[in-house]
Amino acid sequence: MKNKSLFLLLAMLLVVSAFLAACGGGSSSETSNESDTKEKAAEGEPQKGGTLVYGIDAPPEGLFNAAFYGIQTDAEVISLYDEALIEYNEKLEPIPNVASWETEDNKVFTFTFKEGVKWHNGEELTVNDWVFAFETIANKDYDGPRYTNVQTIEGAEAFRNGEADSISGLEVISDYEIKITFDEARVNNLTNLWAYPLPESVLGDVPVAEMSASEWVRTTPIGIGPFKVDKIVPGESVEFSRNDEYWNGDVNLDKIILRVIDNTSVVGALQNGDVDMISLQPVTAPEVKPLENINITTYPGLTYYYVGFKLGKFDSEKQTITEEVPKYQSKELRQAMMYAMNRQEWVDAFFFGYANVVNKPVPSAHWNAADDSELNTYEYDPEKAKQILDDAGYVDTNGDGFREDPNGDEFVVKFTHYATGNPTFESRAQAITQYWEAVGLKSELEMVEVNLYYEMVEKDDPAIETFFGGWGTGVDPDPSGLWKADQLWNYPRYNNPESDKLLDDALNIEIVGDDQEKRKELYVEWQKIVNEDLPMLYIAELEEIVALNKRVGGATYDVSGQNNPAEWYVTE
Amino acid sequence: MLKYSLRRLLGMIPMLILISIVVFSLAKIMPGDSLSGEIDPNNTNPEYIAEMREKLGYNDPLPVQYFNWITGFMQGDFGKSTKYKTPVADVIIEKLPNTLFLGIMALVITYILAFLMGMYSGRKPYTIGDNAIAGINYVMLAIPSFVAAVFAIYFFAFQLNWFPFGGSVDIIVEEGTPEYWLSRLHHVLLPAIVLGAMSTASYTQFLRNDIIENSRKDYVRTARAKGTPIAKIYNVHILRNSIIPLVTFLGFDFAALIGGAIITETIFTYPGIGQLFLDSVSSRDYPTLMALTMLLSFLTLAGNLLADLLYGIVDPRIRMD
Repeated sequence: MKNKSLFLLLAMLLVVSAFLAACGGGSSSETSNESDTKEKAAEGEPQKGGTLVYGIDAPPEGLFNAAFYGIQTDAEVISLYDEALIEYNEKLEPIPNVASWETEDNKVFTFTFKEGVKWHNGEELTVNDWVFAFETIANKDYDGPRYTNVQTIEGAEAFRNGEADSISGLEVISDYEIKITFDEARVNNLTNLWAYPLPESVLGDVPVAEMSASEWVRTTPIGIGPFKVDKIVPGESVEFSRNDEYWNGDVNLDKIILRVIDNTSVVGALQNGDVDMISLQPVTAPEVKPLENINITTYPGLTYYYVGFKLGKFDSEKQTITEEVPKYQSKELRQAMMYAMNRQEWVDAFFFGYANVVNKPVPSAHWNAADDSELNTYEYDPEKAKQILDDAGYVDTNGDGFREDPNGDEFVVKFTHYATGNPTFESRAQAITQYWEAVGLKSELEMVEVNLYYEMVEKDDPAIETFFGGWGTGVDPDPSGLWKADQLWNYPRYNNPESDKLLDDALNIEIVGDDQEKRKELYVEWQKIVNEDLPMLYIAELEEIVALNKRVGGATYDVSGQNNPAEWYVTE
Repeated sequence: MLKYSLRRLLGMIPMLILISIVVFSLAKIMPGDSLSGEIDPNNTNPEYIAEMREKLGYNDPLPVQYFNWITGFMQGDFGKSTKYKTPVADVIIEKLPNTLFLGIMALVITYILAFLMGMYSGRKPYTIGDNAIAGINYVMLAIPSFVAAVFAIYFFAFQLNWFPFGGSVDIIVEEGTPEYWLSRLHHVLLPAIVLGAMSTASYTQFLRNDIIENSRKDYVRTARAKGTPIAKIYNVHILRNSIIPLVTFLGFDFAALIGGAIITETIFTYPGIGQLFLDSVSSRDYPTLMALTMLLSFLTLAGNLLADLLYGIVDPRIRMD
């Protein structure tokens, strides 16, 4: 969704890849290059010096500050020169980075900063820079989307409304110590908290309304990370050089050059060694795999795809689901449609093996994900699907080869998929309707332009009955925002008080305390319910794919993303 | 002629207003707005989106939105890009030099190639050479530029290593030095060749037909009778007369220069106006979209006027009153 314009290009890529494959066919078939999927490109000791070329496949918007950026591409640039005060481990649990913390009740936290951490302009990082970040984001002139990460601090709302000069929940104890009080005790207060400081030394004099357009965000951003920004050519490249005063160990590389590389050029640029490191789209990976100088690394992603059913209508004024849509209320019908789909085949065909079948709306890498052994995995079984439909009364009464509904009326499954320039979307959507037709459910497919599509889905347009969608989740495992009955983004309009209660309980500190196991139990319980109820048919979760030149070493990946760029190195 | 120019310029105003209304309505009728791409539970929440919609005035009635926009526009305030969060004028000015550079290079390449091919074809019409040139021209015209661009990158950048495969400059070189300008030239050549060489057809055929026509005229016969060498007749007498109609094309090229090449710029990751225009449409960045449309409309109208005026200058038989 974030890279809409990319899809258009993917279309071209497909056309052209056919030609290119024909041109370069001779060599690729013979090399049996077993790409090790687990990182570690080059052997041996980390080496000092050298330049690494880092590719991204879409131009950044140029909002190079964590508090202001809007798209993932900008976040990728930021991650090379700045880092958060709190990091996440491979289970997505928070771990101290610059800041460590203590809390007794999950309401009041005391954070301690490491001393001697310097901004790239030489100023020392103190807790005041963090306070400055909070106050900027809570300012009413702030035009970025991060207020949700600040509003849980006590007094943030009053500050935003102009009723207070400062945020009352922030108490600076010393330059390296700060006490933060939240408006109430929650289990996820820490993961939700805004964890990037903002350099007061350079942005302090800039009015908040002008910050996102200022040079400190656009052309000369600074951070506390292992590399400094030397130069930015807007829309195409960024030059980074080593930060010799980096607080957390030595930095191996001299320079990182970040380049925007169009999707059509990615394979060629990798082959020629023009780029050392780049994330790949699933469609490109099979072409990159045969290249002898490239290793492909994959790591679990946090995105999943689903087919949703519209089960109700939502009133966004009242924030409630006001009416039920009867057509897909039968749970048996939904289960039968799930059994009818060969999800493995579908994933292999359209994601080239870089995705896995899922049975729940929680990415498997999350600590709160239920194991498949606890869930119904809905193995592909068209006979069972037919049996369920027969039992539920969906039988063919008029002899046209398709089933009617239990009242004997014509039954047509209307499936809607978004359309961009990507030509594979229509065929992958078509494949889904064919699975349903194979068990006797007449299905119709409609492709809708992507902007219109999400508007229709969000407004419960009657033309949307079953729809294709995807969600990416973050480090906070709480799915409330996408699932509870009072949420706009609960697109299926799933309304189950039992499910809502479990989600509330898992966040309720009086019930779970700070016991992660106990939270997990509740989330697993919840996943069992939505796995049984199927308000959406879970299809696949994606893997993230990175191509690394073999001269690159020290780069490792887990579900939280790449490791610290300070550890990367190149061998010649 | 001054009166004529003024009259034409005044006539542009209602035209531009009409264009702005149509484009504004079309942009707003397009489903979605600049915030519909931001549905992402990690990054934002429905409250923020609702708040921003209110702040940006998307909830006002369309005529009010149009009026707000046009009042700002008349006062030289093009608004703030919703995508880049900076004034639209800054965004456009940032990309303009790249696009102009690419456009001018492409035009120069087109002119040179068309000139050579057109002269040859005009002098030797209906020969194998002439037909081959026509054939090549039309094939080039028919090949979509993105296919040509990808093939050009594959052969010239990746196989032969003659040109870089993308970007407008090598970031390592110091700005302002001779290496910097060489690097810019090196980067612009391949996209300029793709753009320029692909669009020679109209110029070539126009020039060819004009030369053929002129070569049958009386003054040519007179020159021959006087014993003027054939080469001189073609290269001086006929050419001078045949170039005149080509001048009218210059006006149309004017808008195309700024408009950029949407697909080519994107494939070559060459940040310019074309890429910006495509992005502003797909991300519903109304202020940028409207400013660019108005700019291009104005340039097209101005280009037409320029063409008409130039025609009057080079051909005194045409009078403008």
